[in-house]
Amino acid sequence: MFNPEILIVGAGLAGVAAATELARAGHPVLIVDRAARAGGAIHRQPLPGQAGVATAAARWNRLIAEAEALPIRWAFETRFNGVDHQGTALLTGAENRMLRPKALILTTGAREAVRPRPGWTLPGVTTAGAAQIQLKTMGAAPQGRVVLAGSGPLLIALGAQMTRLKNPPVAIVEAGRPFAHPLTSLRLPLGYLREAAGYMATLLAARVPILTGTRLAAIRAEGETLVSTLTDGNTSREIVADMVCLHDGIRRNDIGLTDCPALSVLRLGDCAEALGARAALEAGRAGGRAMAQALATGTTPTAPNSPLLDRERAAQARLARIYAHDDFAALHSLPSDTVICRCEGRTLDDLRALGPAPRTRELRLLGRFGMGPCQGRFCGEWVARAISDTPQAPVPAHPLGEPRWPAAPIAVADLHAAAPDTGAAPPHPHGVHE
Amino acid sequence: MNAEGIYDAVVIGAGVVGASSAWHLAQAGLSVALVDAEGPAAAASGASDGAVSVASKKPGPLARLATASLLYTRDLAQGGPLSSAYHPRPSYIFGTGSAESAAIDALIAKLAQLGTAVRLRADGDATLLPGVGTGIDRVVALEGEGHMPGYAAVQGYLREPRIDRFWPAPVTALEESGSEVRIVLGTQTLRAKRVIAALGTATPRLFPTLPVLPRAGQLFVTDRGLAGQLPGALTSAAYLLAKTTAPSVLPKPPVVIDPLATGQYLIGSTREDHGDPTRVDFETLRELMLRAVEAWPALRARRVIRAFAGVRAAVSDGLPIVGSAPGYERVLLATGFEGDGICLSAVIGREAARMTAGLSPDAALAADFAALSPARFAQVQEGAA
Ligand SMILES: Cc1cc2nc3c(=O)[nH]c(=O)nc-3n(C[C@H](O)[C@H](O)[C@H](O)COP(=O)(O)OP(=O)(O)OC[C@H]3O[C@@H](n4cnc5c(N)ncnc54)[C@H](O)[C@@H]3O)c2cc1C
Repeated sequence: MFNPEILIVGAGLAGVAAATELARAGHPVLIVDRAARAGGAIHRQPLPGQAGVATAAARWNRLIAEAEALPIRWAFETRFNGVDHQGTALLTGAENRMLRPKALILTTGAREAVRPRPGWTLPGVTTAGAAQIQLKTMGAAPQGRVVLAGSGPLLIALGAQMTRLKNPPVAIVEAGRPFAHPLTSLRLPLGYLREAAGYMATLLAARVPILTGTRLAAIRAEGETLVSTLTDGNTSREIVADMVCLHDGIRRNDIGLTDCPALSVLRLGDCAEALGARAALEAGRAGGRAMAQALATGTTPTAPNSPLLDRERAAQARLARIYAHDDFAALHSLPSDTVICRCEGRTLDDLRALGPAPRTRELRLLGRFGMGPCQGRFCGEWVARAISDTPQAPVPAHPLGEPRWPAAPIAVADLHAAAPDTGAAPPHPHGVHE
Repeated sequence: MNAEGIYDAVVIGAGVVGASSAWHLAQAGLSVALVDAEGPAAAASGASDGAVSVASKKPGPLARLATASLLYTRDLAQGGPLSSAYHPRPSYIFGTGSAESAAIDALIAKLAQLGTAVRLRADGDATLLPGVGTGIDRVVALEGEGHMPGYAAVQGYLREPRIDRFWPAPVTALEESGSEVRIVLGTQTLRAKRVIAALGTATPRLFPTLPVLPRAGQLFVTDRGLAGQLPGALTSAAYLLAKTTAPSVLPKPPVVIDPLATGQYLIGSTREDHGDPTRVDFETLRELMLRAVEAWPALRARRVIRAFAGVRAAVSDGLPIVGSAPGYERVLLATGFEGDGICLSAVIGREAARMTAGLSPDAALAADFAALSPARFAQVQEGAA
């Protein structure tokens, strides 16, 4: 019988690094990604014919050259819909089938958090991450007057990238006060400081206003434009733009990704812990080796650890302190008709109607939070914070209940086309990078 | 509860049967507490379809009780506790081949015997329901049935403020002494004159002699769509065959397609001999969706966004258990409703409350309730000994 593949979901740094280690150890590896090319979030590649914006290209080129020399099978434009209790995974898209992998490695990266506020679902409001994807794949900045708002280092990075592409944002609105912590900042790794200094130089030269300690409280549409209300706690003012990009930090992306009693499942990179690119590469390599070892000895693989990962953890903790803010407390004073769950159009009012301490089941069945196609990926955190007395405090990993498949909605037509795994060889030979 | 801290009745289990019982007790002016190990609709009632259907019931006591419950559910939906839970809608049964056609003939005869609660509106070929799959020979349209999500019914009954609630509070023991029952919830003990135990699949934990077995069912929910909305439930006649003959377990389940009030579809469901709600698999999903698309091709344009399993409480002889618990004087059991508990809950709750208040069941239903008595298992055991 055909030796079953190890399935890796996500062709970013962690996934490709894990794939190379496993392929080198002699395992057949299938790596899938819903995108058209490898790269993941940080090394997202431009669309054919576009210029793109390279970040640390040498690191990526080395890794991909190493991977391409090994017998790894790649399936792009292929979605992983989940793994069931029997160990069957469903793939839809370009490679459309069920398979029973020997093991599963989830490297699905991070997702963006966006705190609900009035107007956040208006057309023209998007996330900073989505704007950055557009910038990386098209090689062009979003057009018109753009406001970047929320909190976190991505706002500065995106602002600088837009500036270099000749459309600086009209303002960067940052809820934290990152420049008020010079001593903590100095203890960040040199790489972080160098990157941040580069971005700041670009923004200062272009005189992009950076409003710190300021929240974007609400957005309203006026004709073709978006009017945002900004507040720094004492005063409030309005700013007019064509587009608003929101970003309230990043979180691990593991919604709908279940564990499986029938096979080893390992989460690596930002999908396990959002620590950024260096950590993802390291965890991918170490995790790939750990999985190879576990398969050889019939044991359960353990999550990787190393001094580098510890350093990145410490750096992320410092960044969190530098960017600390009390913006999430605003959830308690939002207008009651603010939409919390976009999928089902559920508001703060609908949440409050469930009483003081609703249980997970009530949130889902009666409140319908987490019942839409995103399975609570976007609203879970805000539901948990809004019903908590301490909205700033950490929230449970799965506030709307244990994860379950589908990790992404399954088109019925794709399901029909997905032949069950018969134990035969895969449709394409290994080593083909299409 | 009275001055000594004794409730007239404590209901254990806040599923649809327990919630209905508690509501009916409160309406009768009794002091009542409702206890659940987890919370409202935590088990089968929160993980099921909600067909309030007479067509699918085995002829005999179940079909008659379902008819009475359907009529009563409609009453409770007129400004009563089920007003936002119950939605009337037509139901369609489809069949292909002579065995399924014979099952449809038997269904029509059964409905005629049961009176006018559910009427045959039309009987014809696939043209009767525009949009139905071309491989289908026969379609009948019924009117009078409806849909009621279990959790919505529980929520409706729990709007009654005169029900005291205790959860999460697993009952670990029931102690009957003299004229009172002590209900042990870990550190706390409640006292009641009477108890109704509506425990679903957990029944054997407190009543180990009863043959209540788990029977899991997988269910799938699609997204919304603009086109191809079905006006009512679409059920395979193979499902009638399966449900009205032996309590068989089907490896390849006949399909039921239920349009939800949200514009989504619920597609179910399997009958599997285990009690693990995490066992939901892609191959079963695919099998069911293949059959669902054959019956209703517009489903091809939808996406499946949710998959889950519920666990039914099945009884070895295929009939529910309602009546005095073996070994107790003051404890009434209401359990074992397998795939029919939502449909039956209105009448079961009403009659369980009557029995608890010391009244005999509604005369028209007395014989049917007698058939549900747990005494039937005691006799079998004595006979075997
Ligand atoms: C897939 C599927 C599809 C279905 N479709 C339909 C349908 O279309 N139409 C229909 O009419 N029916 C349907 N059913 C059946 C219906 O869901 C059940 O018959 C009904 O919900 C049973 O209600 P219940 O109150 O008896 O039990 P449950 O809802 O199971 O409630 C029992 C409660 O008791 C509690 N409990 C148990 N032990 C203890 C203890 N020791 N202490 C405290 N609390 C305890 C539990 O926590 C639970 O909340 C379906 C079921 C499934 C699984």
